[in-house]
Amino acid sequence: MSKKQRSRYSLGYLISQAFKSLFRNGMMSVASIAVLMSCLTVMGSFALLVYNINYNLDQLGSLNEIVVYCDTDLSDEDVDAIGRRVRLMDNVNEEAVKLITKEEVLIEERQKYSEFTDLFDQMDQSGVNPYPDTFVIQYEDNNKVSALQMELEQIEGVHKVQCRADLAETIESLKNSIIFIFMWFLVILFLVSVFVIINTIKLAVHSRKQEISIMRYVGATRWFITTPFVIEGIIIGVVSSGIAYAIEYFLYRTVYNAVSVNYGMIDIVPFGELQNVLLIGFAAVGIITGIIGTSISLSKHLKA
Amino acid sequence: MIEFKNVCKKYPNGTLALDDVSLKIDDGEFVFIVGESGAGKSTMLKTLFREEKISSGTLIVDGYDLRKTPNRKIPHYRRNLGIVFQDFRLFPNKTVFENVAFAMRAIGVPSRDINRRVPTILRIVNLQDKAKSFPRELSGGEQQRVALARALANNPSIIIADEPTGNIDPKLSLEIMNLLIKIHKHGKTVIVVTHEKNFVDYFQQRVITIKDGHVVDDKVGGMFDE
Repeated sequence: MSKKQRSRYSLGYLISQAFKSLFRNGMMSVASIAVLMSCLTVMGSFALLVYNINYNLDQLGSLNEIVVYCDTDLSDEDVDAIGRRVRLMDNVNEEAVKLITKEEVLIEERQKYSEFTDLFDQMDQSGVNPYPDTFVIQYEDNNKVSALQMELEQIEGVHKVQCRADLAETIESLKNSIIFIFMWFLVILFLVSVFVIINTIKLAVHSRKQEISIMRYVGATRWFITTPFVIEGIIIGVVSSGIAYAIEYFLYRTVYNAVSVNYGMIDIVPFGELQNVLLIGFAAVGIITGIIGTSISLSKHLKA
Repeated sequence: MIEFKNVCKKYPNGTLALDDVSLKIDDGEFVFIVGESGAGKSTMLKTLFREEKISSGTLIVDGYDLRKTPNRKIPHYRRNLGIVFQDFRLFPNKTVFENVAFAMRAIGVPSRDINRRVPTILRIVNLQDKAKSFPRELSGGEQQRVALARALANNPSIIIADEPTGNIDPKLSLEIMNLLIKIHKHGKTVIVVTHEKNFVDYFQQRVITIKDGHVVDDKVGGMFDE
């Protein structure tokens, strides 16, 4: 039998041994899977929460709007002229300059304050519309918004320019703070999980101390002793991440449905957009911690 | 051949378990190592299967200088040894056949050869009818015979037995000792650490007495001097 054939034969044997000992040490295997799965579910939920908060804050911060109020006594031609000038300005999204005429504003206000019908009737009778024509402008670059604001203020017929840059900046800094804090939480959670997982595996390996010592005394190589344990670690990692993924799927779906129905203003990212990242993340964390945990635990019993 | 040359073993806590031990055991010898508890017998065995590294001196076993042999070569060295413990150390979830076969699988012996050799070895220790039994279904004497069969599985040149009769009743103990003598007669070097005065006196083999880490007596055909 060639060396290559022999090593292939051994690997098959070692894989079968890993599966057998997973069942033979059923309680410890179940405990390891339960711990790993719980850690992954908590970490996954937290990561999804952070992602969704980030996503919603991004939506809020991307309003990028400036509102321009014209003088109330301008003719339609004057207003059109302002509109044309605004569209040609630097940092203005030409397609996204919206005019809300004073008539539209009046209708809107009348609906909003329906209890003051008398007031609006008087306005109708006098033929005076006190509201200004208004432009809602979307700009492209948040950093150049102050220059744009100044430029707009200098246009003749512009009464007031209201900019939401401060709001965008507040949201941006709020988002950064939240992400910073949450990322640290996530890192700590990850480290705690790895610590818990490694200790669980250590316990599992320790309970098989004698098995390892017998292997050493009969002349088994480090590879022969370690491989089944590492394969077990990988299997535990894969099973745990699979279960954690399924739990996460149902949890997310439940939360998604509840939030969509009750809190329409909150946007939840559909699970489909996150499933691959989540699955790969779970599998990677599960398998890597499984392997690291096994290797660290074994090294203590494998001096020579 | 086994050779201890001025061997000392000092544990990290300061205990000097072996102090300037020098002795030679030739191939095919049968040796009893006797002494009180804590005399250094177990440490001597541990240095032989390189569970413990000696602190100074030279220990050469079958051409391996155990102080200099790197860890990665130790598994290969251990394949020259068959080790039997007082507490048997069998896999409780493996059958007798699997326990013996395990020693062969661990060093990459193909299944075909394992299936051929294990029944032969079980016949030597007279357990051919118990191949499918689990250790819990066997008596202490039978379990120790399985451990002996496992020690023989890879045809080692040296058999080391640490109190092999310590956990079994006297009647079955004689059976085990007779088996060790039988193995010795097949040309193996056999080293037995024991407290059993009767056996040592009865078998009249070489007796090495250890006290406080020193070899205080070494006689062929010796007796257990208390």
